[in-house]
Amino acid sequence: MTVPGTPAAPPPAPDLSVVAPLYNESENVKPLVEWIVQALEGDRRSYEIILVDDGSRDDTWAQVVQAAAADHRIRGLRLGRNVGQTAAMMAGFDHAQGQVVVSLDGDLQNDPRDIPALIAKLDEGYDLVCGWRERRQDKLLLRKVPSWVANRIIRRLTGVPITDNGCSLKAYRRTLLSRISLYAEQHRFIPALSASVGARIAEMPVRHHARRFGESKYGISRTVKVLADLITLKMITTFRSRPLVGFITASLPPLGAALVFTILWLVALTQFAPVKSTALVFPGAAALWLATALYLFMLGLVAEVALRTEQASANATPTAWEVG
Amino acid sequence: MTAKGVLMEPLPTPLRAAHPAGERLVSVVVPVVERVDDLVALYREFTPELATRGERFEFVFVFDGGFEPSPELLLLSREIADIHLLRFAQRFGETAALRLGIERSRGEVILTLPAYPQVRPEGLAPLLDAVDGGADMAVANRSPRLDSWLNRMQSRAFHQILGGISDHRFHDMACGVRAMSRRVAEALPLYGDMHRFIPAIAMREGFVVQEVAVPQHPRNAGTRVYGPAVYFRRLLDIATFFFLAKFTEKPLRFFGLVGSAFLGVGGIVSFALLVERLQGNPIANRPLLLLGVLLIALGVQLIGLGLVGEIIVHLRAPHRRAYRVRERI
Repeated sequence: MTVPGTPAAPPPAPDLSVVAPLYNESENVKPLVEWIVQALEGDRRSYEIILVDDGSRDDTWAQVVQAAAADHRIRGLRLGRNVGQTAAMMAGFDHAQGQVVVSLDGDLQNDPRDIPALIAKLDEGYDLVCGWRERRQDKLLLRKVPSWVANRIIRRLTGVPITDNGCSLKAYRRTLLSRISLYAEQHRFIPALSASVGARIAEMPVRHHARRFGESKYGISRTVKVLADLITLKMITTFRSRPLVGFITASLPPLGAALVFTILWLVALTQFAPVKSTALVFPGAAALWLATALYLFMLGLVAEVALRTEQASANATPTAWEVG
Repeated sequence: MTAKGVLMEPLPTPLRAAHPAGERLVSVVVPVVERVDDLVALYREFTPELATRGERFEFVFVFDGGFEPSPELLLLSREIADIHLLRFAQRFGETAALRLGIERSRGEVILTLPAYPQVRPEGLAPLLDAVDGGADMAVANRSPRLDSWLNRMQSRAFHQILGGISDHRFHDMACGVRAMSRRVAEALPLYGDMHRFIPAIAMREGFVVQEVAVPQHPRNAGTRVYGPAVYFRRLLDIATFFFLAKFTEKPLRFFGLVGSAFLGVGGIVSFALLVERLQGNPIANRPLLLLGVLLIALGVQLIGLGLVGEIIVHLRAPHRRAYRVRERI
């Protein structure tokens, strides 16, 4: 992806990019950077740290500027307005230059000391290594229980055996990032999306700390939304190459219902001949169900048209992975 | 204009090359729609104020279908090279006129001005200053308002509703006097009747929008009474804006919610009838059954529509970015 305003002669690209989205994390910027630098001290890879200020209302950006002035490996991105964690991460990914990209939360709850281990795991031949907060330091009822339930459902639906989808600490191979595009609130579904393009995924336990400064931006109402998004995503990824099939499948139950009502109507006609006029309700219901089935079929055609148009314009080529 | 009008695309390239000799060109775009005063008088009234700033400026008048430049204006445009007249063959409306004006003008800074005096000429300088001072867009807020209390009440109600659904509260979005840099103007998704929401749209796109208090023109004051059709259209505009602002990335959240409500009520009705049938009561003569099925059908249709929306958003995802980078270091 081309990035606007890239300087003409850029310094050699670092091997590793660490991306941290920040939203109102003023007090956390400095310790976060120090931690990351410390954690990567012994590593012989060159690296950059990309701090993405997601439209903070406090002085997070001033802190980022300060940190960047002190260390040339630190880069800052300031977004026009608060766009949420997914888009902020995407901004960081788009600007990352390293062949390996690591994302982590800006709130110090992830431990940068886990980064070298994640990368080592990635080097074993994976495209994505997910952190798993084995001993999670959050409120039990409000955060851990809903998260546990959500993760179980995500595992069931997507078939990707990842214990902790919500952990931001992950290591990606660059080739993977160029294949998945995140939007809305999809950062939780990175493993599922990656699996849908054929990535090799691993998981390893990482440390987790209680929040020191600032406030959590999450609440329990999120769980419901996450599940709704997940079902949507599941449907889209399953049927994105053949939406008509999906919609035809969905039109089968209405078609069945139409059939049932038609039979009921015929039965009513033959058995209770004197009350023919009242039996009109059944053919009406059958017609409605039939209309619904037809409508879904038409919608499938519309989706198919949208897909064809898009593919024609995007010159989409099927995903192929370099092996070895 | 090129099809950059998709909500939330990143900026392709930064500013155009600056003018030589440090002289900046300001393009004044005047959409001539609905209401028009003597444009020559307007030009004469506003140019001295712009001339004092020592910048070059050009005027681009865009006439909507049904509007013609007056003979005096035609004469003037032959005399002065920096007056451009464009005319639509059909009625396309203010948004399209603004787009065409932006596309055909060459200035680094674009100033939009209604075809009738809305603000006093001395109000333009602070707007341009605000853009020079780093704002991506500066919008005029006519204050003090000289209008009747009726119009002020309407305006307040409109902005209250809008403030409730978008993240920033503006005070005078109906004012057509705005200054913006070209890169912002070209990145704005302008279509339909969206010109009414330009400040809010720019804000959503991640631009820095500043409101500048500008004295209202005395000839703009008075009472304007609109027909019910106008209010109805305004409400539809607000609804459109609301939908675009909230659900462009997640259409199913909207359609799913409404659809589930239908589906839920329909399901309950149908289930109740099923229970009755199992208890031995005939249901073939119950019109309620039709209602239940109808509601379920509606719910399924709405959710289906939302899903198609999701598929389209998903397909577009590789080409769009929900963020706009304001600064990089």
